[in-house]
Amino acid sequence: MDSEAIKELSFILELQNDWIKRKALGLFIDPFIIDSKIRILGKKELASIFLSSWHPIVSIEQLTTKKLLNALDYWKVLIPLSQRKKELELAKELKEKTIKISELINLKILSDRKFNDEISKIKEELKNLKEPIDYWDFIIRDSYEETILRAYLLSFIISEGFARLIINPLEEKILIELCKDKEVKREVKSLPIVINYDIWMEKRRNKK
Amino acid sequence: MSEEAILSRKLKKALQLLLFQHHHLPGVKGWELRKALGKDYLNIIRILNRKLEELGLEIKIIHELEDENDFDKARFYVTFKSIPEELSSWRIDELAILAISIAIIATRNSVKKQELQEILKEKFPDWKIDKVINMFIKKGYLEEKDDNLYIGWRTKAEVDIKKLVESIAGYKVD
Repeated sequence: MDSEAIKELSFILELQNDWIKRKALGLFIDPFIIDSKIRILGKKELASIFLSSWHPIVSIEQLTTKKLLNALDYWKVLIPLSQRKKELELAKELKEKTIKISELINLKILSDRKFNDEISKIKEELKNLKEPIDYWDFIIRDSYEETILRAYLLSFIISEGFARLIINPLEEKILIELCKDKEVKREVKSLPIVINYDIWMEKRRNKK
Repeated sequence: MSEEAILSRKLKKALQLLLFQHHHLPGVKGWELRKALGKDYLNIIRILNRKLEELGLEIKIIHELEDENDFDKARFYVTFKSIPEELSSWRIDELAILAISIAIIATRNSVKKQELQEILKEKFPDWKIDKVINMFIKKGYLEEKDDNLYIGWRTKAEVDIKKLVESIAGYKVD
């Protein structure tokens, strides 16, 4: 038997599997009946049928005083737009130039450790998690540099869709959860997380 | 603290977690409830469900994995038990397009986007079909993968698919 025939057979088995599953779920209705009914029914009847089977989710998006105060703090430290524009224009004036990886290593911007190796290591750590882990517990290490590196690599992994962040405003916690597969990104949001030396010191103390 | 007070505190906490949207998706995962309420969280959810039923609401559990005993990985939502027609903010043609899409996908497992568009073209203009299908993909009612449309997470949580399909199949046209 050639591979083409085996492929066709496996396709038939897959379809049969789907058929059995749907029949077991009680959803087995001949698609032809649905197709013909859809053509006969008017939009009013269809809308009415839908509404009788619809149980919308109840959820609240509510502001809290604390969130407003945080936003106010952000506003206070935000540099005026006119000043930021100047900085942007200044940056534009600077001539673009290419830089070699060896120069980046000399400047200590890039580590000589291979970027991909580091990413793989973090992914392995995430794979071994049995349940979501606190963001700070995951990134905080004994040295400030390593902590920054882990935060940077993690942001890269999250953008890739390998893991995601779960934000719990009630407990003021950020958790990291491993994604099953690379999930289709829906309503992607960017989340700035500030790390500086003071924050690192405080989180490290709390961790200990 | 008395047992009654502890239960009352846990019920409040469970309701906050269920209603307050703190992910990009509404609802809460089982492990989050376990973490906040303790290992007997399913009992707390059962008690809360009884209280919510009096208000026309119910707690729905959607298993994301095949294992229906693994509640930790399931997502818990609060939904309306029924909704009066006048409260729906969607246009009647948008609802009809969604009903047709769900019914077709449910009976076939998936449908080519183009094939669905062809069926809908009989009664709706092209521009409307594209706009409405994309809106429902964005809202999570439909899911698009490689030009195929599937049932989305929100439909699984909100729509009684069996009832919808049976109602369409058994609808008596005068």
